[in-house]
Amino acid sequence: MTVVSARGLIKTFGRGRAARRVLDGAGLDVAAGEVVAVIGRSGSGKSTLLHLLGALDRPEAGSVSVAGQRLEGASERALTEFRRHHVGFVFQFFHLVAELSGEENVLLPARLLGGEEGAARRGRELITRLGLDTVAGSLPHTLSGGEQQRFAIARALVNDPEIVLADEPTGNLDSESAQVVLDILRGVAAEDGRAVVLVTHDREAARIADRVLVLRDGRLEDERARSPRLAAGAGA
Amino acid sequence: MLRGAFARLRVRRGRGLLAAAGIVAAAAMLGAAVTVSYGLATGFERTAERADLPDLIARFDEERPRRVSERVRGLPNVEAAALRLEIRNVPLTGNGRYSDKGVAEVVREGRRGYAIVDGRDLRPSADEVVVERGLATEWDLSVGDRIDVSGLEGVRVVGIAVSPDNVAYPLAAGARIYLSNEGLLARYGSESLGFGEPPVNSLLLWTRDPARLPETLTQARAVSYGITDLRFVTRDGVQILIDQAAGIVVALLIAFSLVALTSAVLMLAASARADVERRLQTIGVMRAVGFSRQGVAGRHAAEAVLVALPAATVGLALGALVAAGPSARLLGALNQLGPGIELLPLLLLCLAGIVAIVCVATAWPAWRAAGMAPAEALRGAELRAGSGRPGRRGGGAARRLPTPRGAFGLGVRIVAARRVRLIATVAVLAVATAVVLLMLALAALLEQLAEDPGTLGKRYALTADPETASASEIRALPGVAGVARRYEVEASDSFRLGENLRIIAFPGDHTRYEAPPLAEGRRVRGDREVEIGLGLAQALGLGPGGTLAAQLSSGREARFRVVGVVRALEKDGRVAYARPRRVLAADPSLEPTLAIRLDPGVDPAGVQRRIAALGGSEGGGGARATAGASTSNRSFLSLLAGLLRAVAVINGLVCLYALVQSLTLTAVERRGTVALLRACGAGRGHVALLLAGAAASVVVLAAPLGVALERFVLSPAVAGLAADYATLPLGADGAAIAFVGLGVVALAAGATALVARRAGRESIVSGLREG
Repeated sequence: MTVVSARGLIKTFGRGRAARRVLDGAGLDVAAGEVVAVIGRSGSGKSTLLHLLGALDRPEAGSVSVAGQRLEGASERALTEFRRHHVGFVFQFFHLVAELSGEENVLLPARLLGGEEGAARRGRELITRLGLDTVAGSLPHTLSGGEQQRFAIARALVNDPEIVLADEPTGNLDSESAQVVLDILRGVAAEDGRAVVLVTHDREAARIADRVLVLRDGRLEDERARSPRLAAGAGA
Repeated sequence: MLRGAFARLRVRRGRGLLAAAGIVAAAAMLGAAVTVSYGLATGFERTAERADLPDLIARFDEERPRRVSERVRGLPNVEAAALRLEIRNVPLTGNGRYSDKGVAEVVREGRRGYAIVDGRDLRPSADEVVVERGLATEWDLSVGDRIDVSGLEGVRVVGIAVSPDNVAYPLAAGARIYLSNEGLLARYGSESLGFGEPPVNSLLLWTRDPARLPETLTQARAVSYGITDLRFVTRDGVQILIDQAAGIVVALLIAFSLVALTSAVLMLAASARADVERRLQTIGVMRAVGFSRQGVAGRHAAEAVLVALPAATVGLALGALVAAGPSARLLGALNQLGPGIELLPLLLLCLAGIVAIVCVATAWPAWRAAGMAPAEALRGAELRAGSGRPGRRGGGAARRLPTPRGAFGLGVRIVAARRVRLIATVAVLAVATAVVLLMLALAALLEQLAEDPGTLGKRYALTADPETASASEIRALPGVAGVARRYEVEASDSFRLGENLRIIAFPGDHTRYEAPPLAEGRRVRGDREVEIGLGLAQALGLGPGGTLAAQLSSGREARFRVVGVVRALEKDGRVAYARPRRVLAADPSLEPTLAIRLDPGVDPAGVQRRIAALGGSEGGGGARATAGASTSNRSFLSLLAGLLRAVAVINGLVCLYALVQSLTLTAVERRGTVALLRACGAGRGHVALLLAGAAASVVVLAAPLGVALERFVLSPAVAGLAADYATLPLGADGAAIAFVGLGVVALAAGATALVARRAGRESIVSGLREG
């Protein structure tokens, strides 16, 4: 089942002579339980693509549909609702709130947004599953990078989203921690049936993906297809 | 360096404008406070210099000028003297207005003791008059207009004058005009003024050495035999009387200036620090490529100067312009001149101060940041010291603050994490709240005084005739705090019968009923002792240890040992406070009145009715309210109350500024957190709630602290400042506290909405990048 479907995405930064089109008709489909890696050079537009899929930004042209919901033309309120219920983000720099413990950070989206019922149980399960029980009460600055990223992944999953968007999740980690994080993301797709889009410039990280798409000149090209389900679904 | 600073400011225009707005606000507050307080604090001296105010003014019954001049010639230390005839209750008509309370000063050749602020001085002509500025303003008179002065019709106004030896008309009951003695003589001849030679009744004396004025005064008294009803007022004495009303206002304005300055410094310092923290990586790069520590700090300082200099200039000018009007009106009422260009150096000093503060507040964190290892700065390490560092495992268990149950709780946690800033913001807001409360309380008190000026000097609200009801009956009435027999008698000094005084006697401690401030010595403790007013002390050359011999109208004498000198306004300070025994021994026929003190907040009219009922009469006929204010006093007190309320409103802006700045800093510093929350599905409402939590944690701490500060520190301190004057029932009431409390909450809500609107519009992506 296709969870994410994007077509003809165009995004330009800057104006006049300084204008640079980073996405020029990019498109992709991601199925439930599939991990898609997007690789490309620095500045090629990988993060921008992720922002458009996650409704953090709007494209100038093109369409995005996630979990059956079309994002183009949606109101700000609708996009906020969409992010709340359908998307989980994992960032390179973790973005944990410094004043809150690891567990509080995990539960933050649920508590903030009034969905506390079930979230506490789910949050604790995630913490256990990701091996963070012993440091759940610690503040972020006392945790290792790997631990912080695992808490960030748990936070992304606590509202039970259909899609997880990970922006260079291993970019700030040593190789051992990076492997742990990648295994978790792989598990998130394989065991929970969520769609995972992983943006990275690290080819090693891309190995866990079912498909690898290369962002070049604003367009996505299929590098290899491991998933028989959507082998023909990539590309614009 | 400056070119680089300009370039950076162009790039970060929004932040530069925000910082500039803060500086404009702080400078405007400072400019307003400085303008008013400097004008009031220096008004008397400035005007006295300009008006050539004499060191000593003597008033006496009408005398032949030759006789007075002979006595003056015998005095040492006299530089110059001028004689005048002061005629009271002169009918004046002009511009369709009329007053029968004109005071005509018939001046002679020589020094005048007033400053001409428009037109010119008198020439020896009966057709010319100089009018005081208060009269000119009140009657809308200009130079060239004509007024009728008693029998002199159509006298031309040739000049407008100011003399600070009294407050201005209509605050003073009499409107002063100046006429030329020579002019009147030329037109009407010497018989016109009732004597063969026109008499005089006041003397203006300028001394060579003002420090030796007391000796001159003693000599003047010694040679004054035969001159009756002699009263002296020194320049210092005039200043004391004039400054008493303005003193409290000046003190409050100075306090207000300090609050404004402190808040500006704290907020600007916090803002500068946050800015430097955001730019740590840039600073790391600068250090890595070879910039010196001084160079980094210098560039930040240059940038601060570029923002602060124009912003502070605009703010100070704005504040000074806004305050100039009310300040001039107040000075006008006090018969004083505004500072004019004299204020400019002070404002320039303020400008330099503000720029220096902003400069240091910006350069200091930059200097500290530049002292870090470049690698550490490049990693964006926090500037603050003492917090946990990465890698300190085990010690980082989350502090046991309540877990946030929503965006509001998270806002509280975020603000609580920055304890120093929280304390600073709470302190600024609490002090500003306390000052606003104090100003409102004082304004309310002044309005209360407009209805009952006795409150300022007299602690009793009512007086009653003992025949109406007995003291014990009145004391038993609800709302009555105390009743005492009060004796008042006019007397003369036994050695100089021309010196009149009023003896006021209470059994026991008179300060429970009347408490003029003690200037010297101590309070009365026994029947043989007396406190005398400053005016009487000056007139008789008496001080603690001296003897007051008072001859009462019965012809008998009462002697007392002077133990204290008090600053009493009543009867120009020619009063004496004693116990009744010796007074009654000298005049057994003396009848007391009952002075009645009421409990705080009790309506005097209700007690009046009850006292009347005791005496069997209806209405309030049994007891009288303590002397009410004259119309002119009422308008002056209203003017002061208005000024205080205006300052309170400006001070409210300090609160708003502190809140907006604090929330803006929180929003700017926590852009990443806000962006993360929005990425997780938080809407603008959640962002507003988060900021509301941050604002609430400041307000919840600051508001009660401010009330406590006003109640237990500021009010007693200000009352103490004026305690030399009277017991002030000073303290914000419940309504004022509720009003200010709601005001602070409203300001917090406004600041939250303002900052939340801005934060909610920001791009999530750029927030995540910069956060």
